[in-house]
Amino acid sequence: MTAISEFSIAIQRRVGRQRLRRGILGSIPFIFIIFLWELNTYFVWYEPIEIPPIADVWGAIFFMQSDCPGLVAAFQLHNDCQLSNNIMSSVGRVILAAVVGIPFGIAFGILAGINRTISGYLEPVGIFMNSVSGIAWIPLAIVWFGVGWETTLFIMLNTIFWLIFFNTMMGVRAVPKVLVHGVQTLGGSRFDTIWNVYLPGAMPSIITGMRMSLAFGWRALIAAEMIGGDSGLGFMIFVSAVEFKTEEVFLGVILISLIYLMSDRWLLVPLEKWTIERWGLVWKPT
Amino acid sequence: MSGEAKLIIQDLCHHYPDEYTGQSVHALEGINLQVYENEFVAIVGPSGCGKTTLLNIVAGLLPYREGRAMVDGVEIRGPGPDRGVVFQEHAILPWRTVARNIGHGLELQRVPKEETRRRVQEYIDLVGLTGFENRYPHELSGGMKQRVAVARTLCADPVIMLMDEPFAAVDAQTRITLQDELNRIVMATHKTILFITHSVEEAAFLGDRCIVFSRRPGRIKTEIKIDIPREQRVWKEMGTNPKFTEARDQILHLVRQEVTSDDEH
Repeated sequence: MTAISEFSIAIQRRVGRQRLRRGILGSIPFIFIIFLWELNTYFVWYEPIEIPPIADVWGAIFFMQSDCPGLVAAFQLHNDCQLSNNIMSSVGRVILAAVVGIPFGIAFGILAGINRTISGYLEPVGIFMNSVSGIAWIPLAIVWFGVGWETTLFIMLNTIFWLIFFNTMMGVRAVPKVLVHGVQTLGGSRFDTIWNVYLPGAMPSIITGMRMSLAFGWRALIAAEMIGGDSGLGFMIFVSAVEFKTEEVFLGVILISLIYLMSDRWLLVPLEKWTIERWGLVWKPT
Repeated sequence: MSGEAKLIIQDLCHHYPDEYTGQSVHALEGINLQVYENEFVAIVGPSGCGKTTLLNIVAGLLPYREGRAMVDGVEIRGPGPDRGVVFQEHAILPWRTVARNIGHGLELQRVPKEETRRRVQEYIDLVGLTGFENRYPHELSGGMKQRVAVARTLCADPVIMLMDEPFAAVDAQTRITLQDELNRIVMATHKTILFITHSVEEAAFLGDRCIVFSRRPGRIKTEIKIDIPREQRVWKEMGTNPKFTEARDQILHLVRQEVTSDDEH
């Protein structure tokens, strides 16, 4: 009994230690950057207009929200809640594009994965679209949709849809045929094979596609907001730079990466745990 | 063998284009075969003799043009729940638990939940997986996965169960256990089974009738009846059963002929 409990404690300790180790290793570069940043504040190698002090960046949050009447008003997108409006505008567009782009990407990806004719039609056009960087479409999108949310949505959808499409298609093609045959011989219809075999079977690939589309889509969005948007974090960065409010530019950049990190940790990682990890479809080092 | 023929195959021939050379491969030639109710028919032959092709045709996974194939008097056109298949590889779904894999056939047939649950439990107990209901396949051993596959097929209650070298991918020790268990399951369920194998021992141990295939193009070379009651078919006793050893040696000799003539080829 003591041997078993000692063993389990040792294992727990080991896992905890490894996690700790990874956390420490991962944060060292950040600590280094912050350290340099702080040094710059004291020695002023670069002017605050070039690299603002950390305190100024922190202060920018409150400055930009200073006229905001309160939390409720912020969620109602009150005109004076500058920062929160820009955050919600960007996040809202990502959500909208994801909600539209991901299901369509998966649906067409599955169809192309199981049907050679459909993939024959869609694959070349997809390669064409994917080879053109998302932001290359911005000038054209502005001509078509003008400055505003339609342009940013178009840029994001174009990025998200094709990434999800290709990943789903590849995932579907990698599903072992024997699983499909198994369901067919149990009396499964075409729909049953899609719902019970191809979709879960392509899940590892679909999640990779989601991760990529979130990263690339988010990047494309920021660029689109800078050039063809009228709100959002990209727009905020651009306007602040023009007005030489460098601390707001820094704040915008930091927020972008934080929001991306959160969406990955709180959406994709749980989805992964709930599906492919539970099904044993990924190899996880323990 | 009394009873009605569940599976009837008449003058079945099959050609298919080779994947690489594009040349027509003659896989099956003039197959005539009947499998009767409650009968266990084992097909044995050298690798590449077309036995899996035959099973795929019966399963409805491979379309055929020459000859006829009927299950319960109905011409085979595509896969269906009347012909359950246990594949060599693990064909159970990794994203379904043991219980949900076994109940999948009933789920697809829209059988009420309560009845599904009851029948699933019955088959879980039958294959000895009690306690593993909520495990996922990746948590099971190879032998256990094949038990799930057998239970999944049986639970859907097919007219005939087709087994395509189901124990070829497990280790020798597990294989013997699974063969013993399959015998016990056959006694309990009285299923009609068409079993494909390249193992002569397995065919002789399990089959009421063994069909020996020639090398390609696959033809039925001989048919050997093995008249041993199921109750006596236990590995502990079979090794010394003269009927078994005789049939095994006979089949082995016939299969050997095919393999050697293949070498001369």
